[in-house]
Amino acid sequence: MMGLEGFQQEIMMMAGRGIVPWALYYEFVFNAVICALIIGPVLGALGTMVVAKRMAFFSQAVGNAALTGVAIGVLIGESYTSPYISMFSFCILFALLLNFTRNHTKMASDTLIGVFLSISLALGASLLLFISAKVNTHILESILFGSILTVNQLDISVLFFVSVLVLATGIPLFNRMLLSSLNPALAHVRGVKVQLMEYIFVLMITVVTVACVKIIGAVLVEALLLIPAAAARNLNRSLGGFMLWSVIFSVSSCLMGIIIPMQFDIPIPSGGAIILCAACFFLITSLMRGFMPQFREAKI
Amino acid sequence: MGPKISVLNLGLSLGNSTILSNINMLAKPGEVHCIVGPNGGGKTSTLRCILGQMPHTGDIQFEWGENKCIGYVPQFLDFDKTLPVTVNNFMTMVCQNTPAFLGLRKKYREAVAAALDIVKLNGKEKTMIGNLSGGERQRLLFAQALIPEPSLVVLDEPMTSLDEAGITIFEDLIQDLTARGKTLLWVNHDMAQVKRVSTRVTVIDTEVIASGPTNEILTEPMMHGNFRAGSPPSIKVSGEAA
Repeated sequence: MMGLEGFQQEIMMMAGRGIVPWALYYEFVFNAVICALIIGPVLGALGTMVVAKRMAFFSQAVGNAALTGVAIGVLIGESYTSPYISMFSFCILFALLLNFTRNHTKMASDTLIGVFLSISLALGASLLLFISAKVNTHILESILFGSILTVNQLDISVLFFVSVLVLATGIPLFNRMLLSSLNPALAHVRGVKVQLMEYIFVLMITVVTVACVKIIGAVLVEALLLIPAAAARNLNRSLGGFMLWSVIFSVSSCLMGIIIPMQFDIPIPSGGAIILCAACFFLITSLMRGFMPQFREAKI
Repeated sequence: MGPKISVLNLGLSLGNSTILSNINMLAKPGEVHCIVGPNGGGKTSTLRCILGQMPHTGDIQFEWGENKCIGYVPQFLDFDKTLPVTVNNFMTMVCQNTPAFLGLRKKYREAVAAALDIVKLNGKEKTMIGNLSGGERQRLLFAQALIPEPSLVVLDEPMTSLDEAGITIFEDLIQDLTARGKTLLWVNHDMAQVKRVSTRVTVIDTEVIASGPTNEILTEPMMHGNFRAGSPPSIKVSGEAA
């Protein structure tokens, strides 16, 4: 992390001279920007798969499960600002159970995810209320909606490690995962282990969601997986453009959501600001698609 | 050269339901083997068992030549029609491991162009698959089955959305594949087409009603979808695959 500290000194000097936004003078803003630069591309890229595989509410369910993970962490004595062991353990268990149930019942995915989403929210809310006497209520708020103030070196390290892991896994398996969702039987004939791909994808979403809880918030991570990809889909007609613009919208939303409230002294949580920026991109691209013929698809 | 496929006493049960019982059939290289029967009779399940996608009882034996590639043409693609995946992206996705968003690698370009040319989809490479007509999408599914060159082609009712021109393309291609010694397994509802194109036919309604050369098996009632009536008693189904 020495390199990162040196880079931070440079940025602080540039902020002092007014070359970059003054908010970057502060360490916590710098940390948040680094987090944004790490999670932006990962969430943007993964979001395209989430949209293609129609798994948007799955990450919402995992985000809610993170609430339970935090509560369990506090109960067993983990640090209440970074209860990563319990969050990762519980959420991975939760995601695997959800996927296993999905594979072994004939229930529609949206119904099953809805059931698990409600259970995880109810369990998380109950446990968080139970432990609320033990921790500052602002901690709970930061878990729900994200807080750049609490991002530290550990959070950056966790994000970095998870992002590298997800990209290193997801990029080589991209075609196989997408083909599995388009037609599992065709994927199987082509040698794709369809169920294994599903489990890997579910685990990828889970670890990314958990790693992003600190900065975006448990309630809003799903939105950052979904909105940039949905905005990119409005403008693009091929996978390359879809992926590229999803990453651009995601990174831009993260950076703007962190810098703008700081720069203009707007008291809103980072998660909310990031999602509102992403929503602006979605709104603009939806209007472009609606009013500019080149972005409209042909009707058959 | 395609494989010889012997299906021996194939059975499949899901929960308390018997989907397939004592299925015997034989598919040979250079032949089009059609599987016909009523809806819910177990035709697609038979294919899925042969492709190793369903746990089953009985035995399925493959006698492969050098090439063990299977080309599979499914009934449909289940996807969001607004998803930005072009024809080229789709072909890239099925041909190579390098992510489709990075583009088609040079070594596959010629094969993909040739496959799209065969199914008359050249010029549609940049069209989103959601914007293709149903028939064009079926032709695309056939094109992907040609890469890499298969020795066994399995078709699961791919003709449902095709117009006359599309059907001609398919039938010409099937004749070409058969002439080159490939084995073709084809679930088909169009009895006139079965009579026109297939070499052998197996009629399945949970169990095998009849199996053998097309001209011996397809009776007049069968041509009109009445599969139980008038099946020729002379056909020894179980002995066929032995």
